[in-house]
Amino acid sequence: MSHLSARGLRKSFGTLEVLRGVDLDIELGDALCIIGPSGSGKSTLLRCLNLLVTPDAGEVFLDGVKLTTSGIRPEWVRQQIGMVFQSFNLFTHLNATRNVMLGLRHAKKLDRASARKKAIFELKRVGLGDKLEAFPAQLSGGQQQRVAIARALAMDPKVMLFDEPTSALDPESIHEVLAVMTQLAKEGLTMAVVTHEMGFAREVSDRVVFFDAGIILEEGTPSDIFDRPGHERAKAFMDKILR
Amino acid sequence: MSWSRLHHPRVANRIFTWKAWSSIVLGVLGTYWAVVFLIGLGRLGLYRLSFAESQVPALLGGFYVSLEVVGVIIPLGFGIGFLIGWARTTRVLILRGLAAYYVDFFRSLPPIALIFFASLLGALALNNTTINPYLVHDITLWLGVVALAFHTAAYQAEIVRAGILSVPAGQTEASDSVGISKLRSMFVVVLPQAFRISLPALGNEFSSAIKDTSLLSVIGWFELSGVAYSQVSQAGFVYLRGSLVIWFEVAMLYFVLTYLVTRVVRVIEDLFKVPGLEVTRL
Repeated sequence: MSHLSARGLRKSFGTLEVLRGVDLDIELGDALCIIGPSGSGKSTLLRCLNLLVTPDAGEVFLDGVKLTTSGIRPEWVRQQIGMVFQSFNLFTHLNATRNVMLGLRHAKKLDRASARKKAIFELKRVGLGDKLEAFPAQLSGGQQQRVAIARALAMDPKVMLFDEPTSALDPESIHEVLAVMTQLAKEGLTMAVVTHEMGFAREVSDRVVFFDAGIILEEGTPSDIFDRPGHERAKAFMDKILR
Repeated sequence: MSWSRLHHPRVANRIFTWKAWSSIVLGVLGTYWAVVFLIGLGRLGLYRLSFAESQVPALLGGFYVSLEVVGVIIPLGFGIGFLIGWARTTRVLILRGLAAYYVDFFRSLPPIALIFFASLLGALALNNTTINPYLVHDITLWLGVVALAFHTAAYQAEIVRAGILSVPAGQTEASDSVGISKLRSMFVVVLPQAFRISLPALGNEFSSAIKDTSLLSVIGWFELSGVAYSQVSQAGFVYLRGSLVIWFEVAMLYFVLTYLVTRVVRVIEDLFKVPGLEVTRL
């Protein structure tokens, strides 16, 4: 069985059916990119994987452990599966180090000194060794997003979910965030990335999923999806995106 | 800032800034000029200076009683207000409903009626019991204080609720995503940010609650205004200017009381400041 897998995920918000039976598998050490038009349910899919959104039906497994049962605390699940948001969502009242420390202190229950040590290590890993004391409002978008990545990494997650991590950034910041993510992919971190950065999807990911209207239309290697899209809808999307 | 930063050595530097000192100096100067003004009026022959002086000990006694009452009302009112405000934002429907009832009830009744209700109901309940009548009298007095605390708590609850609602959903989403429990996230993520927003409004409500204590004289409290009424009744009928002087002195003492409390709130505001987030650099 795959490292992280979803079976038959369904989710509706009111009458709007956002996920219509999604099966997804992410192998250990793989980088999976989820692409597709806006509003197709990509973010909801990602949020179902770490139970930030409770699916109406279907199951999620991590290393064969079923996550979608009442016996499993969602807090535990979210410590295993890191998440990075489009709008960073840094804690505005805490500086960079303390942003990273918070989960370590209050979810992993580490003592202050080891939490601080780990936080500084992770911030240096994303290239922010000189911004340890800076508050979110004092950082650029790219720096904020890297703090957010460090915050998720600090929990030593088994999988990292990136929900359009560069969509709110300027071109230069996009580059610095993608560089960090590429580095993480090379280090063998398992990740699922919802993105509109087709260059990143093509070069860095091991597998690509094309998602539309609540279902997976196509999946395969980057060249399968980008060069030989089979489905009409995928073809049309690629034509627009890749000109 | 977060709670644990209170232990930071730099906190002391934040409290004892030149701003803090200058505002204390300004407050003292303001009081001083008010005294000088009062004496000046006396020199002009509007009243006898010796009369103004003779009122000071009694009024100071009332001032200490007011201080004592305020010392109960502010912590109690804030404690209740905080819990009610929090309850109004929970998912638990019953708590939310009860809290809404609380706010609607205590916000809709005039504080003077609440004071009478509390102390009269207390007197009725304890009447004809074996409890020492002096103690019963004290209890009815303090019930009036509690009524005022409940009244200000309703307003503070709304302030706290507004603060909590001002924290964006992304903040709790982020704390959820690292696996922090809902309750903990409330204390380490939501409330520190909610308080930063709420503090100016809370300071406002504190100062208004302080002046509401003047209503306590109606049930027999000899706090600042209670003492003033009795002093005026001794002097006022025959000496109109005298009662004006007494109320002038009372106003000054209320000013001192309010100024003290709002300064403390201001210091706490400074502690909660987030670098880079505020619009102004004041």
